[in-house]
Amino acid sequence: MGDTSPRTSGSTDGDMDQNNLMYDGGHVGESSDRSKEKLDQKTVRRLAQNREAARKSRLRKKAYVQQLENSRLKLTQLEQELQRARQQGVFISSSGDQSHSTTGNGAMAFDAEYRRWQEDKNRKMKEMSSALDSHASEAELRIIVEAVLAHYEELFRIKSNAAKNDVFHLLSGMWKTPAERCFLWLGGFRSSDLLKLIASQVEPLTEQQSQDLNNLQESSQQAEDALSQGMDSLQQSLSETLSSGTLGSSSSGNVANYMGQMAMAMGKLGTLEGFIRQADNLRLQTYQQMLRKLTTRQSARALLAIHEYSLRLRALSSLWLARPRE
Amino acid sequence: MVPAAESLRPLPLKTQETGESSVRTLVEENALIVIGRRGCCMCHVVKSLLLGLGVNPAVLEFVEEKEEEVMSELERIGVEGGRETVKLPAVYIGGRLFGGLDRVMATHISGELVPILKDVGALWL
Repeated sequence: MGDTSPRTSGSTDGDMDQNNLMYDGGHVGESSDRSKEKLDQKTVRRLAQNREAARKSRLRKKAYVQQLENSRLKLTQLEQELQRARQQGVFISSSGDQSHSTTGNGAMAFDAEYRRWQEDKNRKMKEMSSALDSHASEAELRIIVEAVLAHYEELFRIKSNAAKNDVFHLLSGMWKTPAERCFLWLGGFRSSDLLKLIASQVEPLTEQQSQDLNNLQESSQQAEDALSQGMDSLQQSLSETLSSGTLGSSSSGNVANYMGQMAMAMGKLGTLEGFIRQADNLRLQTYQQMLRKLTTRQSARALLAIHEYSLRLRALSSLWLARPRE
Repeated sequence: MVPAAESLRPLPLKTQETGESSVRTLVEENALIVIGRRGCCMCHVVKSLLLGLGVNPAVLEFVEEKEEEVMSELERIGVEGGRETVKLPAVYIGGRLFGGLDRVMATHISGELVPILKDVGALWL
């Protein structure tokens, strides 16, 4: 039976005692009092619900842990695939700069497009190589050369779109392999460098051709220098804009200045897209001019030499990434 | 290496009292003139390229407040084929609109720029 402590002898307490009695005893009680029955039913229901909730919670936890285990397995598999792919020379950027989701998506989208473009280029170059080896006709070679040139145009179009979205990603060169980044200039390669390369690769050249290529190399060098100086001037101008006024002072005049400075600085950053466009135009025009001065066969060999050179840079990058470290 | 030319001779935009033809006069009187906004980096690119070739171009760099005035005058200067709006920076050769940075770059790569400059006497070798 329950406690009938002497203290609980008041009328209300008395009732409680009655209930306690019934409660502790565990019986429903002989009393047919409706309110007492309801209370029991409520209690019973609550207990049952608690048990049910606890059971569901255990099931959920089990499902969650199962999911975690599966994800862990998948992660290990992906890591292995990544490692394999890297070793086979497929470049996968390891930069994780995706703090802003839209920016990250733009950069990732461009990286993917560029990878596809590279694969396309590889295919075209294989075609070119076998055409040269099999002594294909000038007309056939011409078609492939034109296709490769058009393919470069496509790249610059892709870059132009990407620049609208994330010019800094392009400038960073993170979409290129490490060794290629050594030679990065305004979001790409230097035409003058490529021209130096082909001079020795497409012999024999006539006097006129030698002269022409020399002139072209000099012109592209001059154009590159002019663009570089423009970038320097932009940098200086940006720095001056951000450092004008008194840094560290928070007077009200300064706040207005600050906003004005930021507006001006934003304008300057906006010109970067133009710089990349100019640099890409330069690259395309240099290619076009080079091909104009060479015969079809020479053009094919030149393009192949450039491609082979870039493959070597990419192979070097893979070796570098896979190098043993302590 | 082409030796660097002497410093640019920046031309101040003549005040309105001397008449609206100031810009026109500058364009007509100079074999080669680069016109652009003050502080424009692309203008700097054009200047650098020309300097690197041994040219000493006249340069007109105007402040923001003067832009409307300058642009409306430039539009009035007759050009072959009736070109539309002038884009800055703008290069005028032999008194006529040659083009912007795009055209300057393209003609330099194709090897045509230097002969043109020599033709108008902006470049001697």
